[in-house]
Amino acid sequence: MLKFIVRRIFWTIPVLLVVILLTFLMMRQIPGNPFRQTERAVPESVQRNLDRKFNLDKPWYMQYAYYVKGVATFDLGPSLVVRGRDVNDIVKTHFPKSIELGLYAFLFAIVLGVPLGMIAALRHNTAVDYSAMIFSNIFHAVPSFLLATLLIYFFALQWGDIFGLPTSGWTTWEHKILPSIALGFAPMALFARLVRGTMLETLQQDYVRTARAKGLRYRRVVGLHVLRNSLIPVVTAAGPLLGYIITGSFVIELIFNIPGIGQYFVTSVQARDYSVVMGLTVLLSGLIIVANLVVDILYGILDPRTRDART
Amino acid sequence: MRTKTLWLWLALLVTSLALVAAGCGGDDDEAAGTGATTEEGGTEAAEQVITVNWGTEPPSLDPGLATDVTSANILLNIMDPLVKLDEDLNPVPAAAESFETSEDGKTVTFVLRDGLKWTNGDPVVAGDFEYAWKRTLSPELAADYAYQFAGIVGANEYSGCDPKKDDCAALRDKVGVTAVDDKTLEVKLTSEQPWFLSQAAHHSFLAVNKKAVDQFGDKWTEAANIVTNGPFKLERWAHNSAIDLVKDDTWRDADSVKLTRVNGRLINDPITAVQAFEAGEVDVLYQALPPAEVARLKETPEYELYPGLGTFYYAFNVENIPDVKQRRAMSLAIPRQSIIDNVAQGDQLPATGFTPEGMPGFDVINPESPWLPAEPDVEQAKQLMSEVANPKTNVTLYTNDSGANPDIAVAVQAGLKEIGIDSTIKQQEFQQYLEFLGPPPNKDVDVYRLGWIGDFVDAINFLELWGCDAGNNSTNYCNEEFDALIEEARGTPDNDARYELYGQAEDLLWGEDGDMPVAPIYFYTYQNLERENIKASFSVNLLNQTDLTTVVVTE
Repeated sequence: MLKFIVRRIFWTIPVLLVVILLTFLMMRQIPGNPFRQTERAVPESVQRNLDRKFNLDKPWYMQYAYYVKGVATFDLGPSLVVRGRDVNDIVKTHFPKSIELGLYAFLFAIVLGVPLGMIAALRHNTAVDYSAMIFSNIFHAVPSFLLATLLIYFFALQWGDIFGLPTSGWTTWEHKILPSIALGFAPMALFARLVRGTMLETLQQDYVRTARAKGLRYRRVVGLHVLRNSLIPVVTAAGPLLGYIITGSFVIELIFNIPGIGQYFVTSVQARDYSVVMGLTVLLSGLIIVANLVVDILYGILDPRTRDART
Repeated sequence: MRTKTLWLWLALLVTSLALVAAGCGGDDDEAAGTGATTEEGGTEAAEQVITVNWGTEPPSLDPGLATDVTSANILLNIMDPLVKLDEDLNPVPAAAESFETSEDGKTVTFVLRDGLKWTNGDPVVAGDFEYAWKRTLSPELAADYAYQFAGIVGANEYSGCDPKKDDCAALRDKVGVTAVDDKTLEVKLTSEQPWFLSQAAHHSFLAVNKKAVDQFGDKWTEAANIVTNGPFKLERWAHNSAIDLVKDDTWRDADSVKLTRVNGRLINDPITAVQAFEAGEVDVLYQALPPAEVARLKETPEYELYPGLGTFYYAFNVENIPDVKQRRAMSLAIPRQSIIDNVAQGDQLPATGFTPEGMPGFDVINPESPWLPAEPDVEQAKQLMSEVANPKTNVTLYTNDSGANPDIAVAVQAGLKEIGIDSTIKQQEFQQYLEFLGPPPNKDVDVYRLGWIGDFVDAINFLELWGCDAGNNSTNYCNEEFDALIEEARGTPDNDARYELYGQAEDLLWGEDGDMPVAPIYFYTYQNLERENIKASFSVNLLNQTDLTTVVVTE
């Protein structure tokens, strides 16, 4: 197992290098100038100073080399647009907020979604099943910005006197309720559907019938055997999903004015803030790699059969 | 039985969530009470605290590096400029108790007030201004606004110097700004520049505390590090979330400042901002209102409209559309008022020239162009088109893809269709668009849209855009007579005489016989929502800035 983990960690290095190279090259292919954010043209001498300051006057392979060297020492470089802040600052300030939001949303999704899927599977083809599935299908389809707007409209404005929830911001716990729900609903619906599907399949398995035939109590069969085996696809989906969800949702952060990292994924590209784009790509790829690694380890725990094949 | 238990758990969970949500009902009642209405000019409220939405996170609060409206607005309230602009936009003393221009107009001397203090206790001296200006010019800082100082002797040479080749230190010493003593700042200009005093009210001319910069480097503008000298102190800067100011009781004129505290949110999305306003979370919005909501919000007592210093325009590539009659016809066909009422929806003013209304001297400068009607004059346009020898009846219309711009392009397209010109709208993302347009002008472009927001209050800031070599002129239009007039205006210190020259320049381009390389559409406005208990004293100037020292909360 340890060997497997170590090998996987080593593999992240070439993956990251390629990710950086591709992002770097693509970014430079788009026309645009990080130092010109408005109609105002940048005078030539100012442009020269800026290019020199940020090493943009060097050939691209040297810039790439500088950047890789920076990443190796955990220095993601200065932002070209938000002068006075470097990418490390941006990540340090805003990433924790996105993680927090993502975890709440994820928790909401698991805590509601998994039981909902289980109930639907156990009461297969009953009214309970149908209503649970209609509920989750609807929420899987409703875009989060619509849900967010509806939540604000009703819980902060229309019934603001009753609930007293703020419209936006990220300071007290009251601020965190609506965004977490808005972001958590779609994954919740996804989990419910996943759990239901795999559980129905597992319930048909021979070993379940055997366990029942042995006289094991139904609750124990479901709790021990069925649930555990049904969770594998959920874990597969949950890993990368968690990676994405904690790196921030541009839409939810914008609507609720949450100072998370999500908006930077969009604004940095619009502003051609090369170093922020690169930094966030490195961060996101790192996270997804780690999430996948964790998923693989969890497989081993949930399904002993996969353990040997991977070491 | 088994599943029932699960159901019970689920029901319990949902109920408890709902209860938790309901539990906080009473907490925010006090905050919601800020919307109390009063008559205008009512008595002062006991608590002089407001919450504003500054809008987008300012990219920098370093006077040398800040280039955007939000930064400027905050900076001018936490720092003390040498001069500030009064209601009529004339420069009046601020940190400087007096200023004087020499007879040849090339030397300006500022004398600082006594007893000016930085928040770290240091006195504010003339050397702080000299340091700040030279810092902004330095190639190491690489500041965008280094060009604001271009009119000062030696400024361009220093900011353009290459540390590898030139002796930058020597060039630095040659820059024409000198602290003669602690109270006297002497500025040497390359020529007579009548607008220099107005320009000195710009935030890039603020002083900077060297100690803070030396100690904290790039991070000196964080709330914990910053040293300021203005009426308010920067108490908190939670990035992308809040910027709070508190009154500085030791400021030179603190007695006149009523507000003790200005809480600031940084809400970027206009819809979210309006919701926060309506929920009573903020008292002022500095932000464009969401177009879909404008009609409703205009009817509220909190709505306020200010003229802005900006012009939205369509420009022609005069090589592709060489006949002036066609350019006039196309301009005549644009439905300006309809664009304002139905698309832009900001109560903008239909343009009648290029220099926007509100600019000092507007009445003299404005050409009252016959080619820029609010309502399209299709008949005259058709008539003109019929006189064009080789009309170009198939044109490309370029615009960037954000905001109302694509819809405005459609309205322009419809207007042109009326006079027999088919146009193809091409949209690009903003950054790509700017690079695409040039200069040098792109051959594929027949017509393009852009806007201009002034950075200081003089029409030269607008008119110099259309000079032959101007960095924003992508029309291929070049008129030496026009350039000569602008050049002459540069050297004309007398306001009335200068406005006269600006007027002649406008006439050359947009007057009766104007060349019409550009068809201005409208002059920008700023829409705002302001709580009624501050509305009487709260105002926004042409540059979208508020002097918070004049705001009073009434009962």
